[in-house]
Amino acid sequence: MNTTPFIRPCTVIWLLLIALTGVTYLVGQAGVSGMAIVGFVLITTLFKSQMVVDHFMGLKHVRPFWRALLFAYLLLVCGMIGVAYYISL
Amino acid sequence: MDTLAQHDNDSLPGDFAIWIFIFAELLVFGVFFLAYAFSRANNVELFNESQMQLDRIAGAANTLVLITSSYFVVRAVAAIRTGNSTRCVHWLLAAIAMGGVFLVIKLFEFGDKFSAGISLSTNTFFMFYLSLTFFHFMHVILGMVILAAVLFKARSGGYSAQEHTGVETGASYWHMVDLVWLILFPLVYVIH
Amino acid sequence: MQYSSQAVAKPYFIAAIGLFVGQILFGLILGAQYVIGDFLFPEIPFNVARMVHTNLLIVWLLFGFMGAAYYLVPEEAERELYSPKLAIALFWIFLVAGALTIVGYLAVPYATLAAVTGNDLLPTMGREFLEQPTITKIGIVVVALAFLFNIGMTIISGRKTVVNIVLLTGLTGLAVLFLFAFYNPVNLVLDKMFWWWVVHLWVEGVWELIMAAILAFVLIRLTGVDREVIEKWLYVIIAMALITGIIGTGHHYYWIGTPEYWQWWGSIFSALEPIPFFMMTVFAFNVVNRRRKEHPNKAATLWALGCAVMAFLGAGVWGFLHTLAPVNFYTHGSQITAAHGHMAFYGAYVLVVITMISYAWPHLQHNAPAANGRAQLLEMWSFWLMTISMVFITLFLTGAGILQVYLQRVSDTPLPFMVVQDKIALFYWMRLYAGLAFFIGLCLYVYSFFAKGKESLASS
Repeated sequence: MNTTPFIRPCTVIWLLLIALTGVTYLVGQAGVSGMAIVGFVLITTLFKSQMVVDHFMGLKHVRPFWRALLFAYLLLVCGMIGVAYYISL
Repeated sequence: MDTLAQHDNDSLPGDFAIWIFIFAELLVFGVFFLAYAFSRANNVELFNESQMQLDRIAGAANTLVLITSSYFVVRAVAAIRTGNSTRCVHWLLAAIAMGGVFLVIKLFEFGDKFSAGISLSTNTFFMFYLSLTFFHFMHVILGMVILAAVLFKARSGGYSAQEHTGVETGASYWHMVDLVWLILFPLVYVIH
Repeated sequence: MQYSSQAVAKPYFIAAIGLFVGQILFGLILGAQYVIGDFLFPEIPFNVARMVHTNLLIVWLLFGFMGAAYYLVPEEAERELYSPKLAIALFWIFLVAGALTIVGYLAVPYATLAAVTGNDLLPTMGREFLEQPTITKIGIVVVALAFLFNIGMTIISGRKTVVNIVLLTGLTGLAVLFLFAFYNPVNLVLDKMFWWWVVHLWVEGVWELIMAAILAFVLIRLTGVDREVIEKWLYVIIAMALITGIIGTGHHYYWIGTPEYWQWWGSIFSALEPIPFFMMTVFAFNVVNRRRKEHPNKAATLWALGCAVMAFLGAGVWGFLHTLAPVNFYTHGSQITAAHGHMAFYGAYVLVVITMISYAWPHLQHNAPAANGRAQLLEMWSFWLMTISMVFITLFLTGAGILQVYLQRVSDTPLPFMVVQDKIALFYWMRLYAGLAFFIGLCLYVYSFFAKGKESLASS
């Protein structure tokens, strides 16, 4: 905590999460479907959740195992959701 | 990354027991999410049609509310790391208030669905929608109770810059509640 | 033994083991009746033998839990029991009431028993596991309340430990949930629904708290590991047991007339029920490996580890086998259920009570931390004999169940129930032999209490 930057890193993360949520919402509003859209939303979700894990939960600063474990979980859940959508097309 | 979770050691932030609990909770939600996705694969039309009846604005608003609440908790942890109990209490209060906003929006949403005659037995989609959101709803309440307990201890000066495991424990749980919603929202409200 | 009032646990343990022997004898009769239909008929019909077998199990486990509580609570609370006299009085009341009930089952037809005991006034009889006459049920409630009062007063005025609080919570839950035994709705669906509140929420809810508390107590004493470590595990295990166990009740609501969503709720939550049992196994081995001292009672350690492993296998794995609704659609009420029931009860509850007895008995009887070497050796032999026999009973019943489900329900040309029973008789014969081996193990266990021998296990 040597210098206080103009904007805190966690605030940046917060704003990013807000923006990405807006994007997800707009995609839903547009009413478009298809594997590309589903894939886009799922990857956005994966990205958002990993940001929460890394920066909000703070797992970027602990043993890499835990971060990897949660990433594996998120990847598995989002990936399997993608698979379920893919087979329904 | 000054204000973010920072550790003098390698272990998970907060009490290890809460992490066992968090992992177990994530497992339950994960199984629930996949059950939803694969049931949908068998009833695509029913799911798409029913999903149109959801209030996507309320869902998106609640996502923003929870993200913001999580952010406030990050600030609370950052505050106690510098030994500032008063600021920590203020941030926690703000986070709990946001939790309250989430509950209110959710209650309006539930009320809307119930008055439309929708119940757990309406169809498989609404069974999942109501089960998942209600289950998550209960977790928001539990998270608020945990944060409130942390708040009261912080207010009486129970934490310091050196010893604040309790704050991190509560924060970790609250982020988990947020994390789950981040997946729940696109899954149930958005993608079709 | 640190407190003289702990001695009241002794008669409870003796009664528990005595009734255990009775339960197994009736189990053998039942096993024989599976293959020799008119064995002991008409003296002991199958339905009566089954009732005695299951009721004795519950009653002796309750004796075991109460004995365990009387032994454990004073030591944890660091004070004498609130009223040892009350504990002894309750013992005799419970024993006499239990014995009279069993005699009633065996001596007169069930309908006569119902008429004699005034079931008309408050009908509660006739439901599986809750067959006890209404007056016996009222007696159970009175005994349970007085017992809770005795234990509660001891804990309130003594040192409050996590083990004590968890045990008290579990015992209170046990007593409160039993009250649903008096609720007997006319609607058959509601009747079944609330029946499970006793049966399921006992064995997959509050009993798990009792089990975890007893296991934690014994492991603290045997290993000398820090209380804080064990308490943390206890919290996590209990949270998981309750999350999965309470909503997991839904796995009994699939086909009884309840709404369809129970198939999802039941499947998802009960699929996770193995987790707390798995955590208990990891916990037990972890704690024993990190032990700070070599306790002379090796047998108790073996029972404790065996309990954790067998509970995970019986309750966790064998429960998971048929808990998902699409599987359960075919398997419910088959021999798969019987296989699961046998190993789960043995692993989780029989073994936890014996673990407690094994730990406490040397203190109660010999005022020593451990029994002599020969007695311990016999105990260990009996552990392996009973456990391996139980594994075989479970495997044979599982085999019978798989064949039964296939022939009777899955096959394109389903066969009638009794025809299928004939075809799987070989499994029933093997189960009966495994049951006899179990009985030999049990006899060895009883004999170990009387074994005299060298001073310690190390020297033998």
